[in-house]
Amino acid sequence: MGSWVEVASLEELARRKRKLVVVGTQQIGLFLIGGTVYAVSDVCVHKQRSLTKGTVLNGQIICPGHQWAFDPQTGRAADREECQPTYDVRIEQGAVFVNPSPRALTSEER
Amino acid sequence: MTESVIIVGAGQTAAVAARTLRRRGLGGRITVVGEEAVRPYQRPPLSKDYLSGREGEDGLWLLTEDWCDRNEVGLRLGAHVRKVHRGSRSVELADGTLLEADALLVATGTRPRRLPGVEGERVRYLRTLADANRLGADLRPGAHVLVIGAGFIGAEVASTARELGASVTVLERADHPLGHVLGRRMGEVCAALQREHGVDLRTGETVEKYMETADAAVVTTTAGRAIEADVVVIAVGVVPNVEPLIGSGVELNNGVVVDEHCRTGVAGVFAAGDVARHYHPLFERHLRVEHFDNANGQGMAAAKNILGERIAYTAPHWFWSDQFGRNLQHVGHGHGCDEIVVRGQADSFDFTAFYLHNGVLRAAFAVDRGGDIAVARQMISARAMPDPAGLRDENVDLADLSAATH
Ligand SMILES: Cc1cc2nc3c(=O)[nH]c(=O)nc-3n(C[C@H](O)[C@H](O)[C@H](O)COP(=O)(O)OP(=O)(O)OC[C@H]3O[C@@H](n4cnc5c(N)ncnc54)[C@H](O)[C@@H]3O)c2cc1C
Ligand code: FES
Repeated sequence: MGSWVEVASLEELARRKRKLVVVGTQQIGLFLIGGTVYAVSDVCVHKQRSLTKGTVLNGQIICPGHQWAFDPQTGRAADREECQPTYDVRIEQGAVFVNPSPRALTSEER
Repeated sequence: MTESVIIVGAGQTAAVAARTLRRRGLGGRITVVGEEAVRPYQRPPLSKDYLSGREGEDGLWLLTEDWCDRNEVGLRLGAHVRKVHRGSRSVELADGTLLEADALLVATGTRPRRLPGVEGERVRYLRTLADANRLGADLRPGAHVLVIGAGFIGAEVASTARELGASVTVLERADHPLGHVLGRRMGEVCAALQREHGVDLRTGETVEKYMETADAAVVTTTAGRAIEADVVVIAVGVVPNVEPLIGSGVELNNGVVVDEHCRTGVAGVFAAGDVARHYHPLFERHLRVEHFDNANGQGMAAAKNILGERIAYTAPHWFWSDQFGRNLQHVGHGHGCDEIVVRGQADSFDFTAFYLHNGVLRAAFAVDRGGDIAVARQMISARAMPDPAGLRDENVDLADLSAATH
């Protein structure tokens, strides 16, 4: 764990705006929102529906299961305690890399 | 200034309102009075994962003891409010206790409608945790379950019963289920979903006569058929719990009538959730709906208005139903719509239906397409007039279409 993995090309994300990738045992959703790539666990903390099957509205990821709205940066669900794991993303020469260890939230994000 | 609040009823609406009142700085007493003996809990799992046994009780609870202690919210459980006194903000409990406060929030919800003449040891309703515990014990492999009413609760019970290996017959009085919400075409899709999962759904047929023998319930239907079952679940809609308000001066009409701010006509008396018939500014009429999200949204709005803010509740109604391995969602109010546009494949239960009235999007119904519902919800709020061809065309991104119609 902890080593960066190449998971997609920026070009492909620009076209589809979201993509489900599998890294080891983890299902990770990539989202291109307002020019930034975010990586969030694809498996909803609520009832395990797939976030990449949902949509992005007003900068939030909306789960298709029961419309929980997640902040793509922090993974925090709007008006709730629950939090979706997020991952660090790095872009290099048009390739998207993900660090498969879930991020710890910084104190401002908490 | 409002210092103290009594909430009548201790369900979803009450829990959200109590939390909002404290979070927004109400300093005085909050008393929540509920007639059930158990602490407030969520109902949606009672027909789904809790009923099937896949989930336990732990995830159901709403206002924990710890939270109530820390936030000084007084929960009076097992206490029935008999009467809200006329022109005042005081309530009388069944044991004669009088409680008074600066504001009252009526959040008494609904109860299942009874079917006259259908009574006995094998008759079940589903509203409370106690109901779910009792019914859960009946849903065994090989059992025969007869469900009366093919609405959302009836369908979810049928789904869970099938999942647990029971055989299921459903009687629906109308000639297709859910017509009043979804219209005929989508009602037929829901019927097909039930039948595909082995439910013996009989439409245009209901109970004529009910009796019990030593080892079965026997229902004679209006089509003259006799159906034997181990247990009979009645799911034919609900009745709002307005009785404590009779004679209080608050207007009652299929629920407690409130304006867009959840205010009744009596100063200091508010209502929200399943029991409230709320004036919805978007649809320009009073509507009473029985959805989880509405309970949350109105509970929050009522609390803010109690605190003196003037916040109208304007969100289009939204609900989901999980049944037969599918996720159904509906948003808005489709009554009177003149056009339905389908995106995707209704036959294979992977689609969204958009309901338009004079070109304005008013409602949407989706199976396994919750993402579309999020976009539709935004368009409905904006009274958008999306291009029907774009709605239908799967190559058009809905979010882009929505942005283009704003
Ligand atoms: C089995 C089931 C499944 C559901 N599934 C879904 C779903 O999938 N999606 C969805 O959107 N919605 C669903 N719902 C609907 C949702 O649960 C309700 O909309 C929600 O519970 C309404 O909250 P409420 O607080 O207004 O009413 P309630 O939750 O009914 O709470 C009202 C409380 O007030 C108490 N009370 C009533 N009268 C008095 C009195 N005089 N004195 C004291 N206490 C009183 C009642 O005992 C009750 O505990 C489901 C409901 C049920 C029953
Ligand atoms: S599964 Fe994501 S909101 Fe319920």
